[in-house]
Amino acid sequence: MNQSKETPLVVRRVIPLPREHVFDAWLDPVRLARFMRPGSTAKATAEVDARVGGRFRIVMHHPHDSTGTEHSGEYLLIDRPARLSFTWRSINTDDRPTTVTIAFLDRDGATEVVLTHTQLPPGQVESHRKGWSDILEKAARG
Amino acid sequence: MPLDSTLDHVYGAIADPTRRAILNLLVRGDTTVGALADKFPISLNGVSKHVKVLERAGLVERRVAGREHWLTLNPKPLGAASRWLDHYRGFWEVQLQALEQMLIDESAPPRRKRRRTG
Repeated sequence: MNQSKETPLVVRRVIPLPREHVFDAWLDPVRLARFMRPGSTAKATAEVDARVGGRFRIVMHHPHDSTGTEHSGEYLLIDRPARLSFTWRSINTDDRPTTVTIAFLDRDGATEVVLTHTQLPPGQVESHRKGWSDILEKAARG
Repeated sequence: MPLDSTLDHVYGAIADPTRRAILNLLVRGDTTVGALADKFPISLNGVSKHVKVLERAGLVERRVAGREHWLTLNPKPLGAASRWLDHYRGFWEVQLQALEQMLIDESAPPRRKRRRTG
């Protein structure tokens, strides 16, 4: 089993709205900034050049951090309303490009979003022997 | 085997409290299946089944020395699973949830503007 170099991550969610609706939110900078706000993020700003080869940039601002965390990438595929693919880089990817692909599947008028995140840098996937003991502890507590 | 199903095995393996306890024991060093069975209030057969699940996930390696089956922890799949997966799985789950909430809020009729009929 040599899966350490490339381990895709898949996250799914069914959203009770039509595909066009869900798809368009990803390419609209105002709405992108509105939902791309994980945990402690106070606010986010987004710039989008919604065409294949065009770039996006999302900056997530944390309450005590004036610079913010930048995430950026390039659109690889825009196939409304079925599929969207873009590169993704940030400090969490060691500033190396990774790939996010989102499939929007029609589920009787609702949309199943299947998000796949691949090609994360080998440095993050392989090393970090410490990481596993942390998860063991975390798992044991949970 | 698809790669994400390997990770499913890892997540499936650590979802069970007995298997987490086995992993935690193995952190301290190699042990035998028999010695493990002595530490848990389940049968040797039960322990053996848990060990098999851990082996399938690549978290435990077994070597046979005479009559003893020695078990060694292999943390690598956990490292891969924990580091960026933990980060980005959580990240995207939160983002998709926020996306859904935003879209539902947008499509809901504005409550304040409810007009009285008549």
